[in-house]
Amino acid sequence: MIARVRGVERFADPGERTLAALLLAPAAVLLALIVVYPIGKLVYNAFFDLRLSGGQHAPFVGFDNFASALQDGIFWNAVWVTVSITIISTIGALLVGLALALLANLPYRIQWPVRLALLLPWAMPLAFAGLIFAWFFNTDYGVVNDWLMRIGIAPRSWLLSPGTAYAAVCITLVWKSASFIALILLAGLQMIPRSLYEAAEVDGATRLQQFREVTLPLLVPSIVVALIFRTIAGLQTFDIPYTMTKGGPAHATQTLAMLIHDTTIDYGDIGYGSALAVLMFLLSMVVTALYLRRIQRD
Amino acid sequence: MTSDRAFFTPATLRLIAAAIIVVNGFFPAVWILLTSFKPELELVQKPITYLPQDFTVQNYVQVFAQQPLGLYLLNSVVVATASTIVTLVVSAFAAYAIARLRLRHRDLILAAIIASSTFPLVTLLVPIFETMRTLGILNTYPALILPYVVLSLPVCTLVLVSFFQSIPRDLENAAMIDGATRFGALWRVVVPLAAPGVFTAGILAFVNSWDEFLLALSLNSAVRMRTLPVGIALYQGEFTFPWHIISAALVIAIVPIAVLIALFQERVVGGLTAGGMKG
Repeated sequence: MIARVRGVERFADPGERTLAALLLAPAAVLLALIVVYPIGKLVYNAFFDLRLSGGQHAPFVGFDNFASALQDGIFWNAVWVTVSITIISTIGALLVGLALALLANLPYRIQWPVRLALLLPWAMPLAFAGLIFAWFFNTDYGVVNDWLMRIGIAPRSWLLSPGTAYAAVCITLVWKSASFIALILLAGLQMIPRSLYEAAEVDGATRLQQFREVTLPLLVPSIVVALIFRTIAGLQTFDIPYTMTKGGPAHATQTLAMLIHDTTIDYGDIGYGSALAVLMFLLSMVVTALYLRRIQRD
Repeated sequence: MTSDRAFFTPATLRLIAAAIIVVNGFFPAVWILLTSFKPELELVQKPITYLPQDFTVQNYVQVFAQQPLGLYLLNSVVVATASTIVTLVVSAFAAYAIARLRLRHRDLILAAIIASSTFPLVTLLVPIFETMRTLGILNTYPALILPYVVLSLPVCTLVLVSFFQSIPRDLENAAMIDGATRFGALWRVVVPLAAPGVFTAGILAFVNSWDEFLLALSLNSAVRMRTLPVGIALYQGEFTFPWHIISAALVIAIVPIAVLIALFQERVVGGLTAGGMKG
């Protein structure tokens, strides 16, 4: 019976499997060239003392590159900066994004200014956000210090000392990513049925209770999605610190992505840089695994 | 109390809320626009000025004269446009196969495509750099176009899969019963209906390519091949960072993308949330 049905299907459209394979081929080739092969090559490189400028023969060094990385204070500093910047900017962007989403969910007669105001920070290149905020935080002529002086606070050399440079980078990341989170949460808010609020109102729930008992629980799926996206992006933070601080001062804003870029592209130390990249890869795999589990549940 | 109530009408509150969102979203762009109309000397005077006191468009003239901004603009347009077109073709093929055709491991294939978007690009930087060097295409357009296609492939495939799935299969079958080939049915029935989805995916791909920085910085570092973000970030002044020039360059680089999203904002929001919700 099953065989017959299969036979009929095959008769109906003999080439469907072939067609599917053909249609998937371009994507497969590109992914193989730009993702799969590079991952293999990356792991391979990490076991050699490979220099960009070096000759053909790079000596095999086993796990030496990894051992050096694990003993390197600059590596651990970059891990700490990456993880802490990701956590801080994710929490900050989630809170700001939630506030923006709640405000944007009010019944406006004209929608486009609000929508465009949420889209513009998302569409703006990270590098531009970094440059613009570097100008905001400029010690002498920045608007941030101007505001501080107006309310009687002494101006700071924001990007020139470690603590404030770190804070400035975090603020910029929060501004840049909060809008995207707001758009995702706004879509989540708009899917909550009005009848739930009406029912809560009938039960005498206050606005705050409605928020806590209706809005937040129903928004959790959207929040999780936003968190995953933001975490994946946060671990890769590069453009904003590169354009604002170049990782300084004193490595205070040097993320793993920057350390890897500097080690490999700028200093040409491919072997060591690849070991760093493998370690970063493992770190991000944890997040990817969470993400994939999430997709499977849907 | 009553006067409070009278002031905080729902309409007033809405206006305040809208103002907060609009200021948050537009302030950096507006500030850089104002900066771009100030002469260099006005930018280094204290106290700082808010509105241009000595309005000038000289910065816009200078930015094209002193820096190859026109070239950066061209590079960005070529790379973003080409990678968008290729992404759409590749992801539409893949999405159609995933959404419509009899396929083993359908979910696994989609998961693999999506998972590729979570790999940190920087970890693949050196191998991609080596590949491009081996192919001899460092500092050419394809060096960026190829990885940008892969960059946008996951989200575009995701958006297109959900669009293809929303088109009733019966429409396609009906066309095939009426004698159309599969490609005929695809071209005359599915493609027109999926056009909004393709368009949305296209905008997402374009913005991704327009904004990318790390690969553009590392693979196409030669001055003549720089895209806008890299070209502007690497501007060097003779003595100090030339903010008057930078601000004019930023305005010119932001305007195209701002116009694009202003024109198609509903599609962009739809695409973002469709991609996001699915994940």
